[in-house]
Amino acid sequence: MKRRTFLKLSTVGGAGAALAGCGEQTNQLIRFIPDETLVPGVATWRPGICTLCPAGCGLQVRIMEGDAEVIRNGQAGVVKMGLAKKLEGNPQHPVNHGTLCARGQAGLQVTFNPDRVRHPLKRVGPRGSGKFAEISWDEALQELLTHLSPLASPGSAHSMAFLAGPLRGQRRVLIERFLSAFGAAQFVPFELFDDSVLRAANQLSFGRDQLPTFDLAESNFVMSFGADFLGTWNSPMAQSVAYGIMRRNRPGARGKFVQVESRMSQTGANADEWIPAHPGTEGQLALGIAHIILSEHHRSPEAAGAAGSRIEGWHNGLPEYSPEAVAWKTGVPPQTIMRLAREMAVQTPAVAIVGGAPLAQTNGLFTALAINALNALLGGVGKPGGLQFTPRPPLPGHGSSETNSKGLTGTSVRSLAQHILSGQARTVESLLLYEANPVFATPATWHVKEALESVPFIASLGHFIDETSVLADLILPDHSYLESWMDDVPESGTTAAVVSVAPPAMHPLHNTRAMPDVLLDVAHRLGGRASQALPWKSYEEMLQAALAPLAHSPSSITASSPDDFWTKVKDQGGWWSAKGSAAPERESAAHAVPALKNEEAQFDGPAPGYPFYFLPYASQQFFDGRHANLPWMQELPEVLSTGMWGTWVEINPQTAATLKIEQGDLLEVASRHGSVRAPALLSPGIAPDVVAMPVGQGHVEYGRYASGRGANPIKILAPDVERTTGSLAWAGTRVSVAKAGTGELILLSGGPTKWSQERVRR
Amino acid sequence: MAHRWGMVIDLDRCTGCEACVAACHAENNIATVDAAQAANGRTMHWIHVERYWEGEFPNVRARFQPVLCQQCDAAPCEPVCPTYASYHNSDGLNAQVYNRCIGTFYCADACPYTARYFNWFNPVWDKPLNLQLNPDVSVRGVGVMEKCTFCIQRITAAEIQAKAENRDVKDGEVKPACVQSCPTAAMVFGDLEDPSSQVSRLAGSMRATTLLAEVGTFPKVIYLERESSHANE
Repeated sequence: MKRRTFLKLSTVGGAGAALAGCGEQTNQLIRFIPDETLVPGVATWRPGICTLCPAGCGLQVRIMEGDAEVIRNGQAGVVKMGLAKKLEGNPQHPVNHGTLCARGQAGLQVTFNPDRVRHPLKRVGPRGSGKFAEISWDEALQELLTHLSPLASPGSAHSMAFLAGPLRGQRRVLIERFLSAFGAAQFVPFELFDDSVLRAANQLSFGRDQLPTFDLAESNFVMSFGADFLGTWNSPMAQSVAYGIMRRNRPGARGKFVQVESRMSQTGANADEWIPAHPGTEGQLALGIAHIILSEHHRSPEAAGAAGSRIEGWHNGLPEYSPEAVAWKTGVPPQTIMRLAREMAVQTPAVAIVGGAPLAQTNGLFTALAINALNALLGGVGKPGGLQFTPRPPLPGHGSSETNSKGLTGTSVRSLAQHILSGQARTVESLLLYEANPVFATPATWHVKEALESVPFIASLGHFIDETSVLADLILPDHSYLESWMDDVPESGTTAAVVSVAPPAMHPLHNTRAMPDVLLDVAHRLGGRASQALPWKSYEEMLQAALAPLAHSPSSITASSPDDFWTKVKDQGGWWSAKGSAAPERESAAHAVPALKNEEAQFDGPAPGYPFYFLPYASQQFFDGRHANLPWMQELPEVLSTGMWGTWVEINPQTAATLKIEQGDLLEVASRHGSVRAPALLSPGIAPDVVAMPVGQGHVEYGRYASGRGANPIKILAPDVERTTGSLAWAGTRVSVAKAGTGELILLSGGPTKWSQERVRR
Repeated sequence: MAHRWGMVIDLDRCTGCEACVAACHAENNIATVDAAQAANGRTMHWIHVERYWEGEFPNVRARFQPVLCQQCDAAPCEPVCPTYASYHNSDGLNAQVYNRCIGTFYCADACPYTARYFNWFNPVWDKPLNLQLNPDVSVRGVGVMEKCTFCIQRITAAEIQAKAENRDVKDGEVKPACVQSCPTAAMVFGDLEDPSSQVSRLAGSMRATTLLAEVGTFPKVIYLERESSHANE
């Protein structure tokens, strides 16, 4: 760099500091003052909270000083600031114990993503065109208020909706309080892999509206029905840590692990025994096992308590589920069913896990209840080595409604779309959008895009433009999670009550504002009910007030004063109690709900025209598609296929041979509702009547790394839902497969592929 | 005091989650190429997870094996280098001096583990992705061969710290990024010279093997075999 340019840039940096006008001036100034705690070249570690999936792992953020190029008030400058350099697990955190998965580590590329929205935007082109113009925060907030104030007046004929990911902790409280100021406002949480079926089942079986925690470290037998619990499901880090202990940390005892699924997942690849049962029959298999345990008197039916009473015929020994009958339905040989039942009854503690595809069927609730009953029969519920529940922190207002399924199943995106398209009287006038992308992650037949297009005003509070937020009229960009005050209440993964809290790990890079602070500001400007419901000046203040009562609960923190308590919470990355299993709350009215009869999964598409079960699965790289804009994840080889930078269709080699399909051929996968194209990947780990595709690619509007790459299998799914809970039955579609040309499959060019299988003892 | 750094990878614990792969990219400033170049086999995964299929449906198994530079005691990559870019350092590591490398490919050809990666291009980080770069690790330019260093920057930092405190590096004090991130504790790093270190004890396991032992490279990455199935079909 020329000396002249250098001087110019330094001056601009200084001028930017002086000129930074919008918002609170002091905050703006602080951004330009070098972090005094930082020594150049020496790393500092700050706590954080991972938001890349709902597990809620604790982070440790490595901060080092660096030069960031920023634009302030239209002027470019270079500022010295603390920058996040690496994300690692917080060793003290009770969920992940210092570990962090590949997706969590790639979270660095969320903050530094070149496609982040860097300043407030207003739509200038037609809706969905992606044409936006930069505006100031004052203009943006004014615009938002113009649309929201009429809705806040009593007796407003129009309503608003807040569509977001299933937020927890104080962000959820804040949004609910914010919405309480509006006449008819609804919170619409959306997540593709939302597990609400399992929460509903746990409520019925165990009185806990919550995802389970598995004490695998103490288990001697683990049977998982479709749950990718070491990869993408529930709390994968907590489960992986425990899995390692189960396998090798106990001298002389190595827990056995059996996986039931029709397509081998990363988790299934680690099983001692891999059992490809027909899709949708997992519940019957579980009851077949329970039948043997009961008929051979390993346990009495009463041992299962309320969970058993949910299944018709339980107390008569499940006569419908003889090994022969179950074998016919599931495709699992009767001898295997009997052997597994005996092993499970004897090798205690034994635990059954269910998650993923088995619950995304029309009979998902039945399957979950059947496996819950099996767990209860095995006697591991609330016991070491079994199924437990994370206790809720002793905070007022942290009841079940806040974290769990009530909200998820209450107002789904599907009913919101139906409501909007029906044109009823109280239409949705304004929609606020935050960290949810239902236009990408719902079947085309749900018509979410069409519905949102007809909403008069949409404002997005997220920090990326995706298929949903591109429809917004106004974008008020959020800080990244490393730049914001964060909090979370993990739903599962530990037997300690946890409230994670983390101050911003670094200053914001761009002209963004944290979503909670924007809402507090808007509430304040609205006045009336809104400002009464949200009296706090900042989110930090709200968090501190919310956590204050915890100072008196037993935990690892001993504090001399409220301020001391808050300082220690911030340093540790949250508050947590000692570990202890939360006993399930047995419901008193166990028989209030009629027991469920055997229920078969219904698939969309007749078998003659659509011969394959279609399995879209949560991707190791992209989860539900939200990480497709992270280049590290695009280039991470999916471990079973080694595929990168694309989508593929997994098909059994024998099926492929019959159809004259070769590896890399472009396939057209068609359901009754649409079709997608992707190259064929011949995989021996998939049943001959199943084809599978990873979810996550096929974005049309999600930045430079994700857009226009691969295909989105969700789009072609049938609109079917789980019969009782209304959750999307994303594994309930059948498809046909036809060769459509030559495709491109990008696989990891292998290392010592042939030789290394011949390993020699040292 | 000289060390002999080594790693044990327990394949009975490894679940193929690839946390190590992401950790390595973040720690070592490894560039991503792009779809087109990935298709040409030009990705640079210093550590990657090999997957081996065994059997056919339904009696099929997949085995995972993380493969990284094996830091061989008799490393075939070292004697072939005409510029002494790849050499054996005093801690027994197969080190690579990027400034000496002229990209002859001899080392990559000699490596039986294909653990060496060539920079076909100058790496590009779309701004502000450049801010993620770890200042402790140099960025490699076009024409240079690179590979796993056992996170030598972390080893050096620990050695300097220990020296300042007038003590030896403690067992478990150095953790390369992959080891640190491993959720199942499948990877253990330490001094093979110290018989009481965890890595030495594990290396003496009945399950211990090395990759391609028959080629006589004497790797310092030791694999513990996965237990065979309990299934009695």
